[in-house]
Amino acid sequence: MDVERAQPALVGDELLLEGEGASTKGSTGIPGRERGDRIRRAIAYAVMFLVAALFAIPFLWSVSTSFRTLADTVAGFSLLPRHWTTSGYHEAFHTFNFGKYTLNSAIIAGAITLSNLFLASLGGYAFARLKFPGREVLFMLVLGTLMIPDQLRLVPIYLMLVNWIPSWVGHLGWHNASLVNRNGVILIQLVSATSLFLMRQYFLTIPRDLEEAAKLDAAGYFKTYRKVMLPLAGPALAAVGILTFQGTWNALFWPAVLLQDKTQYTIPIGIANFIGAYQTNWPPLMAASVLAIVPILVIFVVFQRYFVAGIASAGVKG
Amino acid sequence: MAVAVAKRRRVGGGLGSERTREALVGYGFVALPMAFFLLFFIFPIGYAFYISRYNWQIFKGPFVGWDNYRTLYHDSVFWSHAVRNTLVYAAFVVPLQMALGLTLAVVVNQGIRFRTFFRAAFYFPSLAASAAIAAIAIYILASDGLFNTILHHLGYEHSNAWFAQQSTALPSIIGLNAWTTSGTIMLFYLAALQAIPMDVYEAAAIDGAGAWRTFRKITFPLLKPGHFFVAVVSVIGAVQMFDQSFLIGGASGGPNYSTLTVVLYLYNQAIGNIKFGYAAAVGVVLFTFIFTVTLIQRLLFGRAEVT
Repeated sequence: MDVERAQPALVGDELLLEGEGASTKGSTGIPGRERGDRIRRAIAYAVMFLVAALFAIPFLWSVSTSFRTLADTVAGFSLLPRHWTTSGYHEAFHTFNFGKYTLNSAIIAGAITLSNLFLASLGGYAFARLKFPGREVLFMLVLGTLMIPDQLRLVPIYLMLVNWIPSWVGHLGWHNASLVNRNGVILIQLVSATSLFLMRQYFLTIPRDLEEAAKLDAAGYFKTYRKVMLPLAGPALAAVGILTFQGTWNALFWPAVLLQDKTQYTIPIGIANFIGAYQTNWPPLMAASVLAIVPILVIFVVFQRYFVAGIASAGVKG
Repeated sequence: MAVAVAKRRRVGGGLGSERTREALVGYGFVALPMAFFLLFFIFPIGYAFYISRYNWQIFKGPFVGWDNYRTLYHDSVFWSHAVRNTLVYAAFVVPLQMALGLTLAVVVNQGIRFRTFFRAAFYFPSLAASAAIAAIAIYILASDGLFNTILHHLGYEHSNAWFAQQSTALPSIIGLNAWTTSGTIMLFYLAALQAIPMDVYEAAAIDGAGAWRTFRKITFPLLKPGHFFVAVVSVIGAVQMFDQSFLIGGASGGPNYSTLTVVLYLYNQAIGNIKFGYAAAVGVVLFTFIFTVTLIQRLLFGRAEVT
């Protein structure tokens, strides 16, 4: 994918909503088209409502089940719970430790998000504004990392986290501990090429006058970054923060590789484990799923427009 | 005086000049990210190849040259299950998600009300955690689940859990993922659709072409760069499928290897069997394949465009 040209509209409308799109309706001035258009639009409405219902049913069904008793789930079909209960959530939280897993997910996603915001904005500012030899080559290198699949990195990174890095750290006098745990998951995702790219592209669009003013003030580069550039980069920071949080909150692969201690499981790993062990205990399983989905749903509803920025570089994950 | 010093600095060329200072600060600001990318992205490519040439289990064993690759070449579980399933999965899921994504894009691209809502609703499954979606799918496709209940009311009897049967497990995953990914594909196509100039439609309207004919003769062919981009991205995504197999089929890709994919196999060899050398070889082969697909795309179509 050509990331350079895939520059997303960071501050665009919700989900590419500009304009009427390629709709052929309107002022063609051809008699008889009005009626055809109306029929076409009616069909489009019908299809959309139908598909939207199909898309919504699985989610609604899981919410409905999360409020049922176990007996209710096997007592034949009913749209709503026969007896509303929060015991599914109670079980998920206390018996199956999803309270702890939620906290773990929040810690991992939160730490990675904060570090992405800082490193990507600082690096993005340098790549967009400061001149230094080799800048373009280094930036191409960053973009090139998007082509390296996680699977190739699995074994090398696992071995590095088990052996190398702990022993380096040990040499520095810190305690020598394996990083095949939560810290490892955070360490290997401190910054992403996508975050850096989005920040750089945004800084490129900010007019230079403001920095010039800061320069006359004899402010240092870091001060310019912090006092001038960062306050202007709100939309880009929002996009990077939201996309990073969503990605790491949902992530399965690296946590599945690196989290071995049950007390460090994230929600997705907890769900995977639950599926393997107690498959048909549906209410707590659906409660855990709702727990995994709701924060992202809330973020999505509030910050929809920032999500578009991510699709240019995120690709299609199953 | 300070101004005078600053001026001298700016015109001077040596160490301590403004330009040198800017460069040093630049290196300083990118140092951490660059060190990170070198250590965790660039270096692992070479390291993976290095590991793959050793009989590396818990500890580094003897150098074995291409032995891991030779073993992989003769590994029947890898070829007749992992590779086969991955290819079957890709062969079905890619056209399905493209067709679904394009349909959704065309439909929500009409000038109608609530477009925002519909686009958001169709896109959301792409954003929800794969673990949660898989759990919901297992529940709905369980033996006495919602899907079988609906089938029963429609007059079809199906009493098995769809993911638990060897013959239906992979097709069910294909259906599930075609659904969850269609929203992302929709956004790609939406961008491509909006890049088509309005006047070609007006010309078609003047010629009296109907909606279906306009789509078939104009929209679809004009979307060619979009199709290609979406196809490549989808194929690359499909050959890396891991989450649903891991969640639904378990680490072994059950039942009876029917949902085992290449990446899940790699994961098992590394994390389950602690055969790091062998797993690294699988990774190198997969990387070579993905890299070749990307390269062919570049050679044939130059720089792919999103819009």
